[in-house]
Amino acid sequence: MTAAEGKTKRIGSWLSKLLERCRVARDLEPASHAGMRKPSEMDAGVLARADVSTGGTKSGERKVGELALFPPREKWDNWQEWDPKAWPRKVAKTYMLVPTVCFNCEAACGLLAYVDKETHEVRKFEGNPDHPGSRGRNCAKGPATINQVKDPERILYPMKRKGARGSGQWEVTTWDEVVDKLAEKIRKALVEKRNDQVMYHVGRPGEDVFTERVLAAWGVDGHNSHTNICSSGARAGYAFWMGIDRPSPDHANAKFILLISAHLESGHYFNPHAQRIIEAKMKGAKIAVVDPRLSNTASHADYWLPCYPGGEPAMLLAIAYQLIKTRRINMEFVRKWVNWEEYLQEFNPAAEVNFENFLVEMEKTYSKYTPEFAASESGVNPQSIFDIADEIARAGTAFASHTWRASSAGNLGGWQTARCLFFLNVLSGSIATPGGTSPNSWNKFVPKPMTMPAHPDHWNEVTWPKEFPLAFFEMSFLLPHLLKEGRNTLDVYFTRVYNPVWTNPDGMSWIEVLKDESKIGIHCALTPVWSETAWFADYVLPMGLGPERHDLHSYETQAALWIGFRQPVRKVAKERMGQEPGTTLGSNPGQVWEENEFWIELSWRIDPDGSLGIRKHFESPYRPGEKVSIDEYYRWIFENSVPGLPEAAKAQGMEPLEYMRRFGAFEVKPSVYNGHEDTLTADELQDSHVDKTSGRIYKDRAKVSSVNIVPMPQPGDDEGRKLIGIEIDGVPHRGFPTPTGKLELFSKTLKDWGWGEYSIPSITRSHVERAGIVKDLNEAGDKHNADFNFVLIPTFRLPVLIHTRSGNAKWLTEIAHSNPVWVNPDDAKKLGFTTGDLVRVETEIGYFVTKAWVTEGIAPNIVACSHHMGRWRLGEDKGTDRWCSSLVELDEKAPGQYLMRQLEGVKPFESSDPDSSRVWWNDAGVHQNLTFPVQPDPISGMHCWHQKVKVTKALPIDQYGDIFADTNKSHQVYKRWMNLTRPAPGPDGMRRPWWLLRPLRPSQKAYKFPEGRPV
Amino acid sequence: MANFTWVIDQRKCIGCHACTTACKSENEVPLSVDRTWVKYVEKGTFPNTQRHFGVLRCNHCANPPCVHICPTSAMFQRPDGIVEFDKDSCIGCKACIAACPYDAVHIDPETHTAAKCNFCAHRLDVGLEPACVVVCPEEALIFGDLEDPLSKVAQLIGREKTQVRKPEKGTDPKCFYIGADEAVLNPDVQTHDDSGMYMWSNQRDEKHGVKLDNNKPSGISLSSALNAVTNAKVAYDVHHDIPWAQYVSLYLWTKSISSGVFLFAWMFLTYLQLNFGPQFTRVFPDWLLWMAPVLAIVYIGITGVLLIADLDRPERFWYILVKPQWKSWLAIGSYIILGYTAMLVAITAAVFLGIGTTPVTWMFHLTMPLAVMTAVYTAFLFAQAKGRDLWQNPALPLHLLVQAVLAGACAIIPVAAFMGDPDPISQFAKMLIATSIIAHLVLTIGGEVATEHTSKAKQRAVHLMIAGPFKNFFWWGNIVFGCIVPLALIFIPGLQGSVGIDMMIAGLALFGLLAYEHCFVMAGQSVRLS
Repeated sequence: MTAAEGKTKRIGSWLSKLLERCRVARDLEPASHAGMRKPSEMDAGVLARADVSTGGTKSGERKVGELALFPPREKWDNWQEWDPKAWPRKVAKTYMLVPTVCFNCEAACGLLAYVDKETHEVRKFEGNPDHPGSRGRNCAKGPATINQVKDPERILYPMKRKGARGSGQWEVTTWDEVVDKLAEKIRKALVEKRNDQVMYHVGRPGEDVFTERVLAAWGVDGHNSHTNICSSGARAGYAFWMGIDRPSPDHANAKFILLISAHLESGHYFNPHAQRIIEAKMKGAKIAVVDPRLSNTASHADYWLPCYPGGEPAMLLAIAYQLIKTRRINMEFVRKWVNWEEYLQEFNPAAEVNFENFLVEMEKTYSKYTPEFAASESGVNPQSIFDIADEIARAGTAFASHTWRASSAGNLGGWQTARCLFFLNVLSGSIATPGGTSPNSWNKFVPKPMTMPAHPDHWNEVTWPKEFPLAFFEMSFLLPHLLKEGRNTLDVYFTRVYNPVWTNPDGMSWIEVLKDESKIGIHCALTPVWSETAWFADYVLPMGLGPERHDLHSYETQAALWIGFRQPVRKVAKERMGQEPGTTLGSNPGQVWEENEFWIELSWRIDPDGSLGIRKHFESPYRPGEKVSIDEYYRWIFENSVPGLPEAAKAQGMEPLEYMRRFGAFEVKPSVYNGHEDTLTADELQDSHVDKTSGRIYKDRAKVSSVNIVPMPQPGDDEGRKLIGIEIDGVPHRGFPTPTGKLELFSKTLKDWGWGEYSIPSITRSHVERAGIVKDLNEAGDKHNADFNFVLIPTFRLPVLIHTRSGNAKWLTEIAHSNPVWVNPDDAKKLGFTTGDLVRVETEIGYFVTKAWVTEGIAPNIVACSHHMGRWRLGEDKGTDRWCSSLVELDEKAPGQYLMRQLEGVKPFESSDPDSSRVWWNDAGVHQNLTFPVQPDPISGMHCWHQKVKVTKALPIDQYGDIFADTNKSHQVYKRWMNLTRPAPGPDGMRRPWWLLRPLRPSQKAYKFPEGRPV
Repeated sequence: MANFTWVIDQRKCIGCHACTTACKSENEVPLSVDRTWVKYVEKGTFPNTQRHFGVLRCNHCANPPCVHICPTSAMFQRPDGIVEFDKDSCIGCKACIAACPYDAVHIDPETHTAAKCNFCAHRLDVGLEPACVVVCPEEALIFGDLEDPLSKVAQLIGREKTQVRKPEKGTDPKCFYIGADEAVLNPDVQTHDDSGMYMWSNQRDEKHGVKLDNNKPSGISLSSALNAVTNAKVAYDVHHDIPWAQYVSLYLWTKSISSGVFLFAWMFLTYLQLNFGPQFTRVFPDWLLWMAPVLAIVYIGITGVLLIADLDRPERFWYILVKPQWKSWLAIGSYIILGYTAMLVAITAAVFLGIGTTPVTWMFHLTMPLAVMTAVYTAFLFAQAKGRDLWQNPALPLHLLVQAVLAGACAIIPVAAFMGDPDPISQFAKMLIATSIIAHLVLTIGGEVATEHTSKAKQRAVHLMIAGPFKNFFWWGNIVFGCIVPLALIFIPGLQGSVGIDMMIAGLALFGLLAYEHCFVMAGQSVRLS
C-alpha cells in the first residue's frame, strides 16, 4: 500500500471509527478486592504498603501502593480490562487467565496467558504470580512468547519431504500417516532387536521424565541430548565432588557471590537467578564475575576478573591456597564432609591419618598455586587473588558460587573450572547452607508417574562410545563422525527442539550425514518452526509451543522445591468455558500437536496388542486397558506423587489436577538446606547395612523408593546395595551420593579410570591456554605485520535470545540481530581495522567473514562472537524464519569443501502480520559454528568451544557472511582429539562407572561389555 | 490528587529489555518504534571498563512541552500527572516529537498518530500496575504517587540520590533515576559508532536521510581520562526519526514569501503615503493592490498544502481548527494564517469590487500585523520545540520577519517585470533585499555562527549546519549565492537597471533563503536527544 492509498483508506475508516467512539463505555471492576478507587481519584491512603527496603518480596505478597500486579485470582475466569488499542476510549475486553510455563529458556518461568473469551485467541502473556521460581516476573523472552504463537512463519501442518532429502520440497501430510509409518518402523527395529537404531535427540527438554519414560518403555537406549555442547564440563566438575552434577546457589541469601557465568545476562536460570543475585546485592552482598568479556553480569560486579580462557582453574586454586595457607577454612565442615582420609592416604600413605596432617599435606600440594602463578596463567591482577580470598572468608557459609557453560564449556579440561570453583565452597563450608551452594538435586522434585519401565538392557555406542566412559553425557556432537566411521546406523532419528546443523560445531558434517539415507533411515524433526536441521528431515512435525503443550518440571532456581506445570492454554480455557476436553489438536492452531500426546499415540501403535510390553505403560490408571489420556497421566501424578498437593488442592475445594491447571505451579517445600546433614529415619535405616570402617550405610536397592525420582547418582557397595547415607560422629546422615558418601577432594573414580593425575582439583592444560598463545605471538616475530593468534569465545548468550528458538520472536530479533566479533582496541589497531570493517576469522577447518566491533569490553588477544545469530535458509520463504535469517547459497567447491554465501540479508516481507513489512534491520549475523571442528574433552565429553583463530582484515574476495568449512579436515581434527581419550573398559570390564549419573540409565547388565566382543 | 511518578533504580537494572517487550505486548506497539527502551553505554578503558544501562521513556513532565505544543489536545496532562495521548484527536503533526527533549514520543506506524508511554493508564484505571513494572525481574521500575508520603516512590525519592534527564529544559521531569550513570542519561557525552553498528544490533537508517550526530568534537582537546567520560560509547540504542523534514523547510519559505509579498506592498504603500500623502496613487501601481494579496493567497495556499501534507493524518487537518489548544503556536499559527488569508481574500474582493483605494489601503494597514504574525509565529512554535536547541533563539522572531521581507521583495521583482512596470518597485525591492540580507547575515553569522552557545547540543547543531552535512547548503547556498552575490549585484555600479540582473538577484536570494531554511530545520533536528 502506498502512503497515499493509506491516507485515503484512513479517511474511509474515519467515519466508522467515529461511530465506534459513540459506543458507551462502561466502567470495569478494578483489580483490588474491596471497591478499589480509580487512581485518578486516589489520595494519600493509609493502606499497608510494601516495604520500601530493597529486599525482594514473594510474588503473592508483592504489592506496590494500591495497585495490584495481577488481576485477583477469583477473577481469572472472567477478567475484564480496557483494550489498549482503543484507549483512551474505553472498550472492554474479557479474558480467561490461564497459567502456563515459558519455553524460551531452561528457567521455565511462569506465564499467565490472557485468552480472549470471544475469539479464544491468546492476547498476551504476563508472569504467573504463583510460580515459586519466577515470582510473577519475566525476562524479555516471556512476553515475546506471543510473537512465537502468532508467528506467520511457523509450521502449522505435518510436512513430508518430496524429492531428495534437503532438496527443500515439501508436501502436507497427516498425523495418521506419520504415526503409522513411524510405529511400523520402530516396531520392526524393536522386534529385530535393533534397539540402538532408534534415537531421540533433544535440545531443550523443558520437562522431566516424560520422554525418557517413553524411551525406557520402548526398551531403547535412545536418548541423546544437547548436554555435551552445553554443560558437561561443569557437570563433570561438580559430579566428581558430590555425585550430583549441578550447583544450586542460594544467591538471595549470599554475602559473596562468585560467578563464572553470566547469570545477570543469560544462563541457567537467568530470570530467577538474576532476581536473587540483585536481591543479595541490594542487601550488601559483593559480586565477583570471571569473564574475559565484559558481560552485563560483569558490569554489575564489584570485582570483574577478565581471566584469560583456560586460566580459571589456576586462579581458583590460588584463591584456595590463600584460604588453606591462612587456615581460613571451615574446619568442622571439612573434617566431617570431605573425604580427607582417602586424600591423605593417597598422597602421604606414611602419615598418620589425622586432620592436621591432612591440612599440612593439602597446603603442601597447593602451595604451587601462588598469586603470581595464577596471574601468569590467567592475566588477572595478583591482588585480586587476595581480595577474593578475603571476600570468601568474610562471607563464610554465605558464599554462593556458580559456573555453567563459560570456561567449563570452552576449554579442554574446562571441567576443572567447576571443580576448582566448588573447592572454594567446600573449604568455606558453604555447601547447602543459606547463602551457599547446594547440590541441585536437593532443590528439584520430579514426581513419579504411574509406572516406571525397567532400565533398558541396551547400550548405544554412538551416544556412549567407549572412548568416553566418564562423559556427562551423550557424545551427541560426535554423531556424524561416529556414523561416518560406521559404528552404527540409525533407523529412526528424532530431533526435537534441536537444531544440530546450526547449533553444533561442524554443521557441514551434520548435513552430510543427515543427507545420507544409508546412515539415517528416517529423520523426524519435531519443531514448531523451520530450522536449518528441519530442512534435512523427512518429516517436519509441528509441535506445540510453550503455551500449546503439557510439561511437568522442576528446577533448582532457589533453595526450595517446586513443580511447574506447562499447559495448552487455549485448550484449558475452552474447557473451563464448558467445551468438551479433547486433544491439543483440537485447540492448537492448524494441526499443531503436543508431543506428549504424540508419544502416547506412537507408543500405542508400536505395540497395539501389548506383546512388546510397551502398551502397559500407556494404559490409563483409571480406565484399565484403555489408552491413557493426557489429563489422566498428570492427574495420577498430582494425586499420588506430589506431597502436600492433594491437601493444598482440597483446601481450595479442588481436585489436584484442577489446582495445577488453576495455578500452574506448586511449592513442595519452601526452604531446603543442609540435605547432607539430614538424619536417616528409622524406616530408612531398616534392613540397612553399615560399613564399620567407613561408616557408609547401604541398603538393598529394591527397598529404596521415593516419589521424588530426581536423577541421582547410584553409589553402592560390591554386594550391589545402594549407599543411602553415612555415619559421622555416630549419627547416620544422608551424606552425599558419592562412593564415599562425602565430598570427594580425592576422586578414586578418576584414578581407577586412568586419570590419576587429575584425581584432585588441579589444572588441565587448555587447548587455548595462555602460554600457548603467548608462545605463538613470540614466534610470530614482528607484531605489526604478523598474523595474530586469538582465542575466539563463540559462546556468549544475550539476554533477549535463546539459541535458535527465539528468532521467531520479532520483538527479540528487533533488539538483537547481529553478531560482530568483539575486539579489543589495541588488537584492532595492530591489525589495522576498526568497528564495522570486515574481518576474516580463520579456524582449523575453515573461516567466516564478519564485522568487527571494537570495544574496551574485551581482554586483549581474545575475540568474542555471540552465538544466537547467523541464522540462514536455503529456501526463499522456507528453511528458517525470515525475521531472523539470511538467504544463502551453499556450494560444494570440492568434496567436503563448502562455501556458504549470503544472497540477501533480512528484509521486509509480506505476511498476515503487518509488522513483517516493518522489518527495518537487514542483518541476520554470521554463523560461526559451521567453522568449528569437534573438540571433545576426553573426560567430561564436553565440546570445548573456544577456538584458536587467526583474525585478519577480510580479503578482497570476501563478502560479509561468507563461511567456508572443510569436513575432511574436521574429521581429521576429530581423530586427533579422539587420541586424547583413555577408553573403557574400566575396572570390572565396565563401560562407565555405575555410580555416575546417566540419563535413561540402562540395566547394570548393559554396563558391561558383552562377552567375546572386542573392546 | 495523585501525582504519578516513575522511579527507575539503575542499581538493580540488568539491561534485560523485559520492560521493552512487556510494553510492546501490553500496548501492541508495532516494530520500529518503542515506548520504552534500554540504552547501553560503555565507558572506560580495559580493564577499567563499565557498561551502563538506562531505561528511557516518557518522563511525564510536570511541565510537559509536548502538551503545550500539541495543537489539538491529543497530548494532554491528566489531573493525576499522567501525560496521556489520544490517538483519535491526533493529526500527526509531530510537534510533540519536536518538543520533547527526551525522544519519548513517536508516530505509531499503524495509527499514524503520536504515541508514547502513558503509564499504562488503561491498566491503572482497572487497578493494575503498568506492564513494565509487573515484568521487571529486578523490581527496578517503581511506579507510584509522589503526593503520598507512604508510597515507595515518595520514600525512595526522599531517601536516595536521584537524577532526572535534562533538568535544564525546565520540563520538571517526573522520572527519577537512582544510580544511573551520566553517560546513559546525557546524550551530550555519548558517541554512536559511525559504522552504523551496536554491540549486537544495527543502527537504523534515518527516514529522512539525515544522520543524527552527537559525535563531532567540540573543538576542545580532552585529556584521555576526560575523554573516557565524555566519549562514552553507545553499545545499544533504539532509533528515533526526526519529525520534520523537507515539507517544513519549504513551508517556512513559502510562508515567508506569502507574508513578505504582502509586507512589501504594504511598505511600499506606506512609504509612498508618507512621502507623497494623498497623491501617492500617482506613483503607486494599481495592480499591486490586487497582485500582492493574490500572490500572498497563492503562497499561503501552498503553505497550507505543505502543512497538511506533512501531517501523518492529513484528513484530520481541520481538527486543529475545531479543537484548538490555545497554548500551541501551531493552533495559534493556524488561526493567524486563517485570519491572514481571510483578510487577503477580503482585500482582493474589495479591489475587484472597486470599493476605492482609500478603504483598500486601510485594509492593508489592518492586515499588516497579521502578515507580520504569519511570518513570525513559527519562531514561537520553534521555541516550543524544547527538544531542539538550535531553535531556541530569542532573535528568531526578528529573523523570520527579516526573512519574510527578503522573500517578499525577491518575489515581487519578477512580477513587477512581468507587469511591465519594474520601477520604482524594483528599486524599492532591491533596497529591501539589501537591507534584509545584511540583517540576515548579522543574525545568522552573529547570532548563530559566531556566538558561544549555551548548550552542547546547540553547539553541535550549529557545527552540523556550518561544518557538517549541511555546510554546502549553508555556505554556498545561503551565504555565497544567497547573500554575497546578490549584494554584489546590487551594489556593483553599472549593473543597475537591467531587468535580467534584478531577476538574478531575486532568484539567488530566494534560493539562498530556501537553502538556509533547510539547514536550519534539518540541523536543528540532527542532534540526538536521548
